[in-house]
Amino acid sequence: MGKSSKDKRDLYYRKAKEQGYRARSAFKLLQLNDQFHFLDDTNLKRVVDLCAAPGSWSQVLSKKLFNDTTLEQQNERKIVAVDLQPMSPIDHVVTLQADITHPKTLKRILEIFGNEKADFVCSDGAPDVTGLHDLDEYVQQQLIMSALQLTTCILKEGGTFVAKIFRGRDIDMLYSQLGYLFENVVCAKPKSSRGTSLEAFIVCLGYKPPSNWKPRLDVDFSVEEFFSTCNLNKLQISDKLQDWHEEERKIAPFMSCGDLQSFDSDATY
Amino acid sequence: MAETCMKELSHYGPSLCVKFYKNYVVSGYGPFIQIYDYHDNGKLIHKSKMFRKNKIHGLSVSSEGKLLVFGSRSVSVVDLDDDLINNDENVDAIRFEKLNSEWIINGEFSANGKFIYLLTSYNKVLICDLIGNVVSEKVLPGERSILYSGSIKVLSNDKVLINAGTVMGGVLIWDLSTESKIHNLLGHEGSIFHVTVSDNGELVASCSDDRSIRIWDIKLGKELCIGWGHTARIWNLKFFSNGTKLVSVSEDSTCRIWDLRSNNNETFELRLSQVHEAHLIKNVWGVDIQEEENLAVTSGNDGRIKLIDIKDYGDPSNEISFSMDDISEKSVIKFNKEEIIKGFHQFKFGLIAITSLGKIIKFDFETEVWQLISVYDKFVSYSSTNAIVKHNIIIFSNNKCDLLLLKFSSDGHDITVKQELHLDELSKTNNCLVEEFNEESLLVCLESPNPRDKFICLQINNETLTIVEKYSFTKPENFVSSCLEVFQHYILVGSRFATIAIFDKRNVDKSAYIIKRLNHGDTTTNIAYVECNEHQSHLFSVTNRDGYYNFISINFPSDCNGSITYKVIHSNKIMKGFLEGAFFNDKGEYITYGFKSSLFYIYNETHCYEIASQVCGGAHRQWKLFPCDSDEEEETQFTLIYIKASRLHLKRINKLSVPETLESGLHGREIRDVTILKEKSYNDEYIFCTGSEDTTLKLGQFNTVTGKVTNHWTERKHVSGLQRCKFISEKLMISSSAREELLLWEINDEFQSGPYITIRQTLPTSSDNPDLRIMDFDTIFLTNGLDFIVSTVYSDSGVKIWYYDHAKNIFKLLIEGRYSTVCILNTSLEIFRNQVWLFIATTDGQLITYNITDYIPFAVSKEEKSRLVAQSVMNEEIIGLPLPIGTMVVHQSGIKTMNIFQDDNNLKIYTGGDDNAIGIIVFKYDQTKGTIEGNITSFEKNAGSSTITSCVVFNHGKNLLSTSVDQIVRIWTVEDDILRLSEQKYTTCADTGAADIVTDKNDSNKLLIGGVGLSIWES
Ligand SMILES: C[S@@+](CC[C@H](N)C(=O)[O-])C[C@H]1O[C@@H](n2cnc3c(N)ncnc32)[C@H](O)[C@@H]1O
Repeated sequence: MGKSSKDKRDLYYRKAKEQGYRARSAFKLLQLNDQFHFLDDTNLKRVVDLCAAPGSWSQVLSKKLFNDTTLEQQNERKIVAVDLQPMSPIDHVVTLQADITHPKTLKRILEIFGNEKADFVCSDGAPDVTGLHDLDEYVQQQLIMSALQLTTCILKEGGTFVAKIFRGRDIDMLYSQLGYLFENVVCAKPKSSRGTSLEAFIVCLGYKPPSNWKPRLDVDFSVEEFFSTCNLNKLQISDKLQDWHEEERKIAPFMSCGDLQSFDSDATY
Repeated sequence: MAETCMKELSHYGPSLCVKFYKNYVVSGYGPFIQIYDYHDNGKLIHKSKMFRKNKIHGLSVSSEGKLLVFGSRSVSVVDLDDDLINNDENVDAIRFEKLNSEWIINGEFSANGKFIYLLTSYNKVLICDLIGNVVSEKVLPGERSILYSGSIKVLSNDKVLINAGTVMGGVLIWDLSTESKIHNLLGHEGSIFHVTVSDNGELVASCSDDRSIRIWDIKLGKELCIGWGHTARIWNLKFFSNGTKLVSVSEDSTCRIWDLRSNNNETFELRLSQVHEAHLIKNVWGVDIQEEENLAVTSGNDGRIKLIDIKDYGDPSNEISFSMDDISEKSVIKFNKEEIIKGFHQFKFGLIAITSLGKIIKFDFETEVWQLISVYDKFVSYSSTNAIVKHNIIIFSNNKCDLLLLKFSSDGHDITVKQELHLDELSKTNNCLVEEFNEESLLVCLESPNPRDKFICLQINNETLTIVEKYSFTKPENFVSSCLEVFQHYILVGSRFATIAIFDKRNVDKSAYIIKRLNHGDTTTNIAYVECNEHQSHLFSVTNRDGYYNFISINFPSDCNGSITYKVIHSNKIMKGFLEGAFFNDKGEYITYGFKSSLFYIYNETHCYEIASQVCGGAHRQWKLFPCDSDEEEETQFTLIYIKASRLHLKRINKLSVPETLESGLHGREIRDVTILKEKSYNDEYIFCTGSEDTTLKLGQFNTVTGKVTNHWTERKHVSGLQRCKFISEKLMISSSAREELLLWEINDEFQSGPYITIRQTLPTSSDNPDLRIMDFDTIFLTNGLDFIVSTVYSDSGVKIWYYDHAKNIFKLLIEGRYSTVCILNTSLEIFRNQVWLFIATTDGQLITYNITDYIPFAVSKEEKSRLVAQSVMNEEIIGLPLPIGTMVVHQSGIKTMNIFQDDNNLKIYTGGDDNAIGIIVFKYDQTKGTIEGNITSFEKNAGSSTITSCVVFNHGKNLLSTSVDQIVRIWTVEDDILRLSEQKYTTCADTGAADIVTDKNDSNKLLIGGVGLSIWES
């Protein structure tokens, strides 16, 4: 079996090895960037990589921000990477081992940035899959909401937020919520992500927080409570359990990323 | 949107929680509460839908009989008796549903029953009254990260412990009223999946990603001990028996019982005491214990609700055993030093055994006394023991051609008839088989090791024990008899090498009819007559030691000159181990038994669960299984008698006083495809088949009125998760999966005991160690309705066309090629305008058309426009795949599903994509060019909010059904090739991935929707 299972690993796995990436996931970010060019902006200075272990996205970010740049440019650039799992060091990346759903973690990230705003926040988070589809989807969405919570505290207006999603039952509710905070929300699927999986990425462009809302991080507040003051429809807290009501749902446009020459990750050779 | 008229008839799927309440088991079954009276045959006495969309993850019952159910963000409080049990079915319980803004991890009633506590996923507790007003909120400051698990332990009105399992391995125990931390218990690795506290509030049990169970002392905040044993993650834990025992359920399909022992409260030990294989691959979610009755109930992803006897397991009172000395002591029998028991048989009155020195002894069940009956020197050393229990006859034989027959009085006190016989025809005997022959007589078959000796069968009168008739048959080659069945004039003898010989007693000179090598073949262990159908085919169940069971339909000739014919209509292999026999029980379920190494097992093959197992010795075991009369009010179901370490053991296997299952369930993992045999019904129901990620295919039938599913068989031939399964005619089905597996199955629906299914042929693979997936296939039949061509498409972009020759039973490769480098997800073969078209659809959204008319040795039939006829001589050569005649990009990402419909002029393809869209491509024939061209006439971008997984055209092309991962089933109207949504409904089946439709005789459509579970709808 040994030999055959090795053969079965797809091209992206081999390519990642060749190019020195820690995971094949690197190509997902690269292909998303091929489509949206969010990393090609020379003004990109400060970025946060959430759920980053083993660190291939951070590697991509490190290359983009620190290769062929002047010392001066380098001084104002910063990458922070966070994960539950420990990560071996990457040049120019500050790593943090913590749970991103914990408000204390967000506080620590904010502290690292001081008063500076970030230009780009991404999260490739994937929780432990239990097999309870609804719980798995919920926890996945909570990772996104935590990432979004941080984003609202740190992202400059017009900035970009990218996060992994699994397109399950309640994905349209998430689309609708993100629509309140960004000008443009697209569900993108890079060719390097398996066609047989439900994985896709939400690319949120043009951060535009509601003018009447000031995000305020409190370590004793959950994500839901954090957003309750913002008008993300369902997120209301009241002194009553709500009667059942259908939530606002919306479908984000779907886009496939990676050029035609990109390899198909479902194919086996 | 038109009035909704889709209606769900039934739903089978995961059950996440169960609880004993009075005489009932209350279960959360998807969004439903289902209540069973487990003392009344497990009758479902109530079913109510509690939540519109969310599944019930947990429930709690107050001392006042209030029921709290929660799941996802939904909560509901009802009165169990008034609102549910004593109410009509389908009362509107949904009106009680309330929503919280966060996921609810756990819920409990307060000690006085006036409030409920809800623990949310962000470690907050809401205290609410019973109608949902939030009285207060409690949190543990600074600890608001997400939880996977948690529980609330109500010790009194003021003392409530919150036990929160974090994702970083810590178990936070905090006090609700003071909102203060008691402990953060550290030791586990990974996320915590369950925490629970014992009733006295002294102990905590927790489990995590690391597969261990840890017990902690609450006062000291100290780990007391660790339990290892589960081979996968553990999902639920519960203390019982005053905190001295623990039950756990896991991803490894088992339910386990643990003993918590302490040594003067200083050292502690968690010992695994019972393992129950309760569910199918793989998750068991819910568990509860009923201590007075020693019962556990579990519920799993397979939709099964299982009752388990936790007392009987290894209960010493169900087993008695004797050494030779014990027998000696209890009687006046003197045994020699080396003397051992050589054979035994059980009768109603007791046990008769023979020793190596020819002593025949009796154990009386009533008096429990051993007694020597007599001694027969002839039966020293080698002997075999058989019996006809019904007539109280025991038959001993030795290897010197002697037989001893004894008939006992019904109380076993006296021997009423005794007969000694000697056979002169044989030089030696090495096997003796006995079976009832008819009302008056029994049959004894004797065999010698000499192949030239005859196979002798003696017909013996039940009353006089005298020979009525002697038949001497010529032995077939390579024949070693192993089991016997008598049917009419025929004697069916199972042999080694999976062979059966059929002798005709009316004609002893005729050589036996041989059914050879039913499978790779070890010894045939059991042959049993099942039934006869209207065509006078007789069905026999045949088991083989190497694990195969076959059902063989045999036609016996009407006169002596005709010949026997047979057909294997079912073949399957048990999960693991040796198979010694099988039978249908009184419910029509197929029960198998045999050994898994040193373990004897009895297994319900129809519903796939173990009934009992017993450790009973090594390879040279001597054992017999005795079923007990089912009509009697007997507790015992079977007696297993075996000899282990020279002790004679009598083990009673008791009937569970309650049903084994309350729901038998379906697949343990996602259903990937579902197919209905639409051409005809079976006993007014429809046969259908589901293929699952768990690698099995299940054949069952469903009722068109109630939607009730009856399981028949679980086929285990595939070794990887199923990709597709499809009935291609009223007799044939194809299934495909990874590792290049494609199997052609044949269905037989001629018998009442159920439909049967067997593999006719397997598609050849391209290498010995194939690793390609066969993503899809399609067929076109020849006019004989038996031969067909089939296209297969592969994950490496490969495309093949095969011819299946029914008479020769071979697949012949006709065309082979590769489209490009992308994975092909779907294929279709169509005859349109007298030409044969091949369509394929890829992961990058392309639809490709080939015209293969001139590349296959078939032409379109003039009489039957949708079938082929052989045209040219079949070449041995394999032709390369021609170039496509058309390629179009329809979707942005994979085409997940494709369905074709033809009307008079056009051929229409409906595609469903990973990009949430559904497209209609209409192909028209261009007379001048002689080819077809497709146009996208309709493209519904947002046909779902997630991947479209299946499209099925119905109502003669007027409607389209689509399923999608967003769990919405949609019905579309197709008018002028444009799609219009006409109806949509939410389905409880997560990961919705497959659908099929049949129109029944009342012109009503029945929809089967598969995903994590199966639902049946009417439209
Ligand atoms: C798919 S991996 C990320 C791969 C990464 N982008 C790369 O390119 O190497 C998903 C990660 O999410 C992390 N994760 C899951 N839940 C988390 C949480 N609550 N806080 C932080 N990280 C989390 C997991 O530990 C895992 O390393």
